[in-house]
Amino acid sequence: MNKILVVVAPLFGLVSTSCESVIYPDLPEAEAQLVIDAWVNNKEEPQWIRLSKTQPYFENTLPPPVSGALIRIEGSDGSEYIFSESDTLAGAYVWVPGAGERLGMNGVIYTLTVEAEGEIYTAVTRMGRVPVIDSITFRVERGNQFVDDLYLAEFWAVDPVGFGDTYWIRAYKNGVLLNKPSEIILAYDAGFSRGGRLDGVPFIAPIRRGVNPFEQDERGRFLSPYVPGDSVYVELHSLSEASFDFLTLVSLQTNRPGGFSELFATPLSNVTTNLVNINPNGKKALGFFNVAAVSGSGRKFNSLDDISNP
Amino acid sequence: MITGLSQPDRATLSGYVRDAADGEALIGATVFIPATGAGTVTNAYGFYSITLPKGFYEVRFSFVGYTDTRRNIDLNQNQRLDIELQPESKQLEEVVVAADEEGVEVRGIQMSVNRLNIGTIARMPAFLGEADIIKSIQQLPGVTTVGEGASGYNVRGGNVGQNLIVLDEAAVYNPSHLLGFFSVFNPDAVKDVQLYKGGIPARYGGRLASILDVRMKEGNSKEFEANGGVGTIFSRLAIEGPIVPDKSSFIFAARRSYIDVLARPFVDVLRDGARLNFYDLTGKVNYRINSRNNIFLSGYAGRDIFFFDSQQGFSWGNATGTLRWNSIINDRMFSNVSLIFSQYDYALQFGEDERDNFKWNSSITDFTVKPSLSYFINSNNEITAGLEAHYYRFEPANAVGTTNGQAVDVSIAEKYNLETAAFVSHQLRISPKLSAEYGLRYSMFQAFGPGVVYQYNDTVPGLRRQPVAATSFGRGEEMVRYTNPEPRISLQYQVNPQSSVKLSYMRAAQYLHLISNTAASNPLDVWTPSSPNLKPQLGDQWAVGYFRTLNRKSVYEFSAEVYYRRTYNQVDYIDGADLLINEYLEGDLLSGRGRAYGLELYLQKKTGRFTGWMAYTLARTELQVEGINNGAWYPTRFDQTHNFKATAFYQLNKRWSVSGNFTFLSGTPTTFPTSRYVVQGILIPHIADNSRNNVRIPAFHRFDLAFRLEGRTLRKNGKERKNTDYWIFGLYNLYARRNPFSIYFSQGDERAGSGAPIQSRATQLSIIGTVVPSISYNFHF
Repeated sequence: MNKILVVVAPLFGLVSTSCESVIYPDLPEAEAQLVIDAWVNNKEEPQWIRLSKTQPYFENTLPPPVSGALIRIEGSDGSEYIFSESDTLAGAYVWVPGAGERLGMNGVIYTLTVEAEGEIYTAVTRMGRVPVIDSITFRVERGNQFVDDLYLAEFWAVDPVGFGDTYWIRAYKNGVLLNKPSEIILAYDAGFSRGGRLDGVPFIAPIRRGVNPFEQDERGRFLSPYVPGDSVYVELHSLSEASFDFLTLVSLQTNRPGGFSELFATPLSNVTTNLVNINPNGKKALGFFNVAAVSGSGRKFNSLDDISNP
Repeated sequence: MITGLSQPDRATLSGYVRDAADGEALIGATVFIPATGAGTVTNAYGFYSITLPKGFYEVRFSFVGYTDTRRNIDLNQNQRLDIELQPESKQLEEVVVAADEEGVEVRGIQMSVNRLNIGTIARMPAFLGEADIIKSIQQLPGVTTVGEGASGYNVRGGNVGQNLIVLDEAAVYNPSHLLGFFSVFNPDAVKDVQLYKGGIPARYGGRLASILDVRMKEGNSKEFEANGGVGTIFSRLAIEGPIVPDKSSFIFAARRSYIDVLARPFVDVLRDGARLNFYDLTGKVNYRINSRNNIFLSGYAGRDIFFFDSQQGFSWGNATGTLRWNSIINDRMFSNVSLIFSQYDYALQFGEDERDNFKWNSSITDFTVKPSLSYFINSNNEITAGLEAHYYRFEPANAVGTTNGQAVDVSIAEKYNLETAAFVSHQLRISPKLSAEYGLRYSMFQAFGPGVVYQYNDTVPGLRRQPVAATSFGRGEEMVRYTNPEPRISLQYQVNPQSSVKLSYMRAAQYLHLISNTAASNPLDVWTPSSPNLKPQLGDQWAVGYFRTLNRKSVYEFSAEVYYRRTYNQVDYIDGADLLINEYLEGDLLSGRGRAYGLELYLQKKTGRFTGWMAYTLARTELQVEGINNGAWYPTRFDQTHNFKATAFYQLNKRWSVSGNFTFLSGTPTTFPTSRYVVQGILIPHIADNSRNNVRIPAFHRFDLAFRLEGRTLRKNGKERKNTDYWIFGLYNLYARRNPFSIYFSQGDERAGSGAPIQSRATQLSIIGTVVPSISYNFHF
């Protein structure tokens, strides 16, 4: 819908009528809440969990860290991973794998336990599966009088047969993670949503091409996402269905391109959490726990000879 | 069988009231007997019937904008009298209205109804100069919207999907062009618009909040004429005229946006397959078989087409057709049978080639039969009865996704439903001062197989319910049946000739639900039928009103109404609800109840050099849904505490006239966060108390102005021109206020790096933040 508006509105001269201004309305004060950012994966590298506090909405500072917590993850296969607070980064807790060790086995159910500020929180998730990335290609979309030629990266992978596999596609351009709200790319099987029932087929084109950062120059013209010399690295992270729903809500609440798309915005509301205080009357925490299987692949865009659709 | 009811000492006067200039039937014209105080108004087809003791009478026929006609009648037997009223000549002298003139609003029994004739709509200042029926009714009391540019409207706290919009009796399922900036009705083809907000007569049903009854012109039965114009958005042409004079006539009207045609030489993509336009075609033919029988055939087709290239884009449109047969069975019985077709569909396709694309279309089709009979027993008694049957076919999604050459059909099964209703209504004058209309509509809704009904689990309110069991039904098997009695009653007490008090109660059932969780409704919103999991919506409304005519030099009409509305089984949505192509849609829906109440004040000056109205509404509209706002009542997105509107027309001189609209609206509710937090580098807004619509955006006010310049009526040689034309110069949002549509919260555009704080901000959006000038040229010959 939003993409349609971007094209339709200018033709009818409507864009020139709308305007936006940044404002800072007074917002009610609220008690700070514990936030547990626990997204770990099966890569052979240190795994981090961050504890912080909510802040007043307009407080543009780093979130206050929460130190002194005890954090562990236990797997249904009997595995246990103890996270300890970093000496240098307050509120950051790390588990460093030994040689050949990984956090995350396919189909295993993991339980996170966080003891912080006198409360005990738990969350449960199940690690899903990911397909391998078969290849990465580059394609050109020929420009017109409004847009220059654009060079796009595209990854190729096939969703395994069986309904309900969910993924978060995370892309890096020249080593920098594409992490804007507009760059949250999620897949339910090979399509966008549960209702789509696109199972066991290659990911649909908008997902395969979701790894491209779209930025504009100061005149408002779109820049080519990749130019010769750039590199792209794509990771598929498996999600639990609850994590998929969480990120869907995060995208809905944070990806606000503004303008006419606001006509079709849904109301602001809180995103979910899978963290539960074992004391039902205790303080509630925010955040999410997911254990991801990860597959990844990268490619450098050497020259225009790499274009697959010249 | 009828003769048994007729009294020998009484006789009936009946007939049609029409416009003398073009033969159009006049709806709601007054027929009044000054000597006895008896009177009636013409029905939707311009027919009246009044039964009186035999004798001599002076009968007065009147209609606003037309010269009164008086006839002396020797009513010693049943008599047919068709009357043609002369339109008032356009002169500057003030129209002198007889002192005993009484307004229809005061004397009629119907309350909570607003009526706009097309001449008024055409003269109101309009966005980009395009006269628009749906934007015009937003100037009436009790009508709100979520904001500028949004499609549809809200009546007395009802949502957009609770309004029934009918064009010559055919339901129009999406009344919007260009996502809501314009409506689908071509003003050149429309005669009259009535909005029922409460006390809705038993002959109407199917929606809770309101009925917008749009009647098309029949076409000039006396002579050919053409009307047209070039505006900022549309170019228009309407032709009408007699096929057989005074027996058969037609009208055909077309509109199309034309910016794409103008832009074509300059925009490459438009030459390479991109299409961006919208159009509508409206037509009607009528034939007077004889003095007792008329048939009408009318139709509408319109479409919006937005294709960015030859392969990708979307389109949507409505098509309707109505065949009606009016018959005067005898002097006191009038019947109408309508066969109606209506369809709304949309289609999308994306993907640049055949290896990767997505094609999807969806539709709702409605076949309706509606016979009705009015029996004018005597001047104190009138009975209307009828039947209505809708057969619906829903195609929620016919969709195929192709990915790297592999096609997957993701369609959702069609749904088949039957909605039937029987209604009867008795209008009677209990005493010279007290009248009543009471009726019953009994409605039934059935869903038929083939189909699957899912059972969903129970969970915490507000979370998605998962299907746990499925039951399959064979072709033609009844899957569910709902029935609802819908009583309607109105009372009118005539305090004195200038004032009356009215009361009404209505219950309505709504079996089709517009599934939309966005601020404004959009073309992809799907209509979904009631099912075992989705109960029919029910609504009750009570209203009390005081109506008064104030006779000064001109006629003023004043009304004050108070209403209270309760609604049940209201549809709401879980956060992140997946509404499109979702087999398990019902698991994402929540059910709640609503309440709305308000006061509406309306003052109208109907005649003279200066005319117009002021409308003020004080209102509250709330919902209570388990799973939203902690289960507490919360105001809806379109709740406006104060809603003031003024519309005025002033004739400056023979050629220039000016019109103005002023609107003041309290800010609509929205939700502000209290806090922020970061997960995986994304800044997430958080509402500590989990409330919905907890603050209000700033108030909205706007003034629009339009000038109309009549073309010269005389040629240079002094002779009168046959053709007339006029210009309209408009200024929308004259003082360029940046009225907020919404305020949204987001993180900064910069890519968040580790170690640096993420910036948060709030943005206030104005859809129309500047003065919008417009110019249009219109002609008539």
